[in-house]
Amino acid sequence: MKKLLALIMSIMLVAAFAGCAGKEDNSSDYDYIKEKGTLVVGITDFAPMDYKDDDENWIGFDADMATAFANELGLKVSFVEIDWDNKVLELDSKTIDCVWNGMTLTDEVTSAMECTKAYCNNKQVVIVPADKAADYQTAESCKSLNFAVEAGSAGKDMAEENGFSYTEVKDQATALTEVAAGTCDAAIIDSLMAAAMVGEGTGYSNLTYTVGLNDEEYGVGFRKGSDMAEKLNEFFSKCAENGEMEKIAEKYGVQAALIK
Amino acid sequence: MSFNNFAEQFPVVFSALNSGFLQTLKLFFVTLLGSLPLGLIIAFGSMSRFKPLSAVTRVIVWIVRGSPLMIQMLIIYFFPGLVLHNNIWGGGEQGRFIAASVAFILNYACYFSEIYRGGIQGVPVGQQEAGQVLGLSRSQIFFKITLLQMIKRIVPPMSNEIITLVKDTSLARIIALQEIIWAGQAFMKGSHGISGQIWPLFFTVVYYLAFSGILTLLFGYIEKKMDYFRS
Amino acid sequence: MAVLEVKNIKKSFGKTEVLKGISFSLEKGDVLSVIGSSGSGKTTLLRCLNFLEFADEGTISVNGKVIFDGASPKKLSDSVIRENRLHFGLVFQSFNLFPQYNVLKNVMLAPTLLKRDTPENIEKRARELINRVGLSDRIENYPCQLSGGQQQRVAIARALALNPDILCFDEPTSALDPELTGEVLRVIKGLKSGDSTMIVVTHEMEFARNVSDKVIYMADGVIEEYGTPEEVFGNPQSEKTRSFLNSSFENI
Repeated sequence: MKKLLALIMSIMLVAAFAGCAGKEDNSSDYDYIKEKGTLVVGITDFAPMDYKDDDENWIGFDADMATAFANELGLKVSFVEIDWDNKVLELDSKTIDCVWNGMTLTDEVTSAMECTKAYCNNKQVVIVPADKAADYQTAESCKSLNFAVEAGSAGKDMAEENGFSYTEVKDQATALTEVAAGTCDAAIIDSLMAAAMVGEGTGYSNLTYTVGLNDEEYGVGFRKGSDMAEKLNEFFSKCAENGEMEKIAEKYGVQAALIK
Repeated sequence: MSFNNFAEQFPVVFSALNSGFLQTLKLFFVTLLGSLPLGLIIAFGSMSRFKPLSAVTRVIVWIVRGSPLMIQMLIIYFFPGLVLHNNIWGGGEQGRFIAASVAFILNYACYFSEIYRGGIQGVPVGQQEAGQVLGLSRSQIFFKITLLQMIKRIVPPMSNEIITLVKDTSLARIIALQEIIWAGQAFMKGSHGISGQIWPLFFTVVYYLAFSGILTLLFGYIEKKMDYFRS
Repeated sequence: MAVLEVKNIKKSFGKTEVLKGISFSLEKGDVLSVIGSSGSGKTTLLRCLNFLEFADEGTISVNGKVIFDGASPKKLSDSVIRENRLHFGLVFQSFNLFPQYNVLKNVMLAPTLLKRDTPENIEKRARELINRVGLSDRIENYPCQLSGGQQQRVAIARALALNPDILCFDEPTSALDPELTGEVLRVIKGLKSGDSTMIVVTHEMEFARNVSDKVIYMADGVIEEYGTPEEVFGNPQSEKTRSFLNSSFENI
């Protein structure tokens, strides 16, 4: 039994050393991804940017663009669902290569990742129950409300900026649930998401969105210092020129928000 | 929610929850498969008469039992890539599953080792001596005499721990392992064209209750099976 | 030739010297009773003979062959200890039957694991031994279904199953209710024959006087008195022995 234990311990030690001896990344990020042949895209289930079709394939404006980008570079593409809170960790530990998921370019994001230029407009909007919407058409009138916002999100920054009282919750969906359940009066979420998730014919038919609080933009994030962001910028420009981007955007109904 | 709506949504949700639950079950069984024997090895390590070995083992058990499993999972999954610059898990579902399994096996092995230790030390020393004077070897004494008496002693605390494991598997969502809670929660945010629905998340409880119910019956049966002797 | 020869056995636990040089020998077929008050070292002596403890000094020889030598610097290997152990059998004060096995399996376990014989012969012999201790009708019962006296009789059969040269009893009736001691002592008495050599550590003075061939009285780790029952009980040489015997028989 002792021998067995010693054996296991030595295996663990060897494994640890093998880990230390791993390659230092002195080559470029593009070379690294090229070598393994697959672009791993970190996403969340977020219609209409990234979501699954009936055959469980990832589609959406972002997913289709990512696939096109990978094809352009001669790479395979693989989509991996991540915990949004851990996106920087996932990038830095190389478990994914980019975050391409309707990501708002906040200071926080641009300082932790190598981001592309913006490709899509977005804004933060106030969500309230539909029957009360008439009373809350300006930011000023919302001051009396108790808000639910996603922790660390652009929505939270807006709540702070406008001096709203707010509670931080896990994600935007939970913020909506809070309003629907009446535990909070209102929420602040992305307009693209609001368009897809609240109002007639959605799961939150008794909610609606009113005031737009700001204007912001979506970008794609790579590892800090990566040369991939520049490559994607070039690809974005090319697709904007030849109309490819517009075509894909129309397919998912986001053409109005596109930045050309 | 109108009934019509529910009737349409249910099959979609049901199949998503089933595939989530499959991940839950996979993690559950892989954890048991790894941690039950590893726990025994750790138990022998902590009972070793070779002092440095038992000291090291007990410190490891203390660290693993004394810190949150969620943190252990984050460390195991992200540490190799972040600090050693050698991501050994890969980003795909399989890598996440393996990393989660490693964390769960290590964590539960440490819990099990303490239960084993209590079970082994609870068997009267006279049993071992009786085996010795009959000329039996250490392994014969352990496997033919001590083991079954130990198992009888540890079944109640083990069943407790194993049912806790069923529910703990949901912690693996921190490294984006798509188990049943993840699958249920996806319908709040929007997935498969259904959004803003919290009932799928609540519905996952049915799975947990059914599974832990089966386990409770199983352990009750095992306990009953060993009722014939008293130790 | 003596079947057992014990020379100058010493044993200490920490600073307490429990055995201070014990020497005696036994002829084949002898029944030796070891008497003495608690803490005199009787049980430790038995445990040294069975290798549950290792003596610090002295030698133990069986049939003329030295099987233990405290002076030998070489540590005995596990397998040698196991082999040497088989010269002795030990019946414990607290029986220590294996609770998960029935009576038959308790008796058969060791011979089966040690591959002493064919399975058929092992079972045949086990049934004979169980019959000899008068428990044929309880053969399928588990230990928890037996009385203390019955359990101890099974333990005796279990020890006999390996045909030890010397069978040791460590206060075999001390854990029993008074009305159950008789059945166990009768079984032990019944084993007395030409080829069973036995060492019985006991508080049963009547048993020691009537059944044994030799009696040792131990006090404070030494043999205070050694002789036939007639010598030890009838004409004790030592003052300590006299006072022990007086107080023992007073109690009865």
